[in-house]
Amino acid sequence: MTTLVETKIPDQLWQQAQNMVQQGWINNMDALIAEAIRRYVESHQQLLSERFIQEDIEWGLHGED
Amino acid sequence: MEKTKAIVIADAGPIIHLDELNSLSLLTGFDKIIIPETVWHEVQHHRPQALHHAADLAFVRLSALDFSPQVDALTPIYTLHAGEQEALHLCVEFKNSLLITDDTAARLAAKSLGVAAHGTLGILVRTIREQTRSKSEVLELLRAIPTQTTLHIRASLLAEVICKVEKNT
Repeated sequence: MTTLVETKIPDQLWQQAQNMVQQGWINNMDALIAEAIRRYVESHQQLLSERFIQEDIEWGLHGED
Repeated sequence: MEKTKAIVIADAGPIIHLDELNSLSLLTGFDKIIIPETVWHEVQHHRPQALHHAADLAFVRLSALDFSPQVDALTPIYTLHAGEQEALHLCVEFKNSLLITDDTAARLAAKSLGVAAHGTLGILVRTIREQTRSKSEVLELLRAIPTQTTLHIRASLLAEVICKVEKNT
């Protein structure tokens, strides 16, 4: 299942992305955008999980139940 | 020491990870430990031995009776699994409960619902504050995480955690 989205991307960034597709780094623009979003979500998931661990330690040491 | 009044509703992760550390008994410091039916099945599938002492530890196996529309709405947003969903339904049902989970998405959903949530590391470290384990015992458990458990934590972050606990007076 896929979702059709409409978005505004800065010209220079779009040009760089198009160049990458034309050079064959990735199949098409849809795949590039999906990959970019996936990487963003994954990296922030990791940051979040690490922040939750920090919160756990703070709660464990000094928090209240 | 007097038990706290917090009702704990457990996801599978912390039950499995605490058992891997032979430390499930740390949960007995809470007033009530509820294992949602779906979570019970998950633990039974992945680490059945964790449930061998369920009766001694006074685990309460429970199915959610009230289904919260908020949890249903959050399920596709956070891609919540069945056990996490049922745990969150129970958290909404039991006010002021504490969700224990090591899943980031479940914790995000809990935050959206205003439900307190903590993970295995929080439960371990909390025992120092509750004076049910010494700091050195907890440090030993923290150091055993990479080799003894399936809980994934970046080595340098675990080192930071250990350092923080060591410095705590």
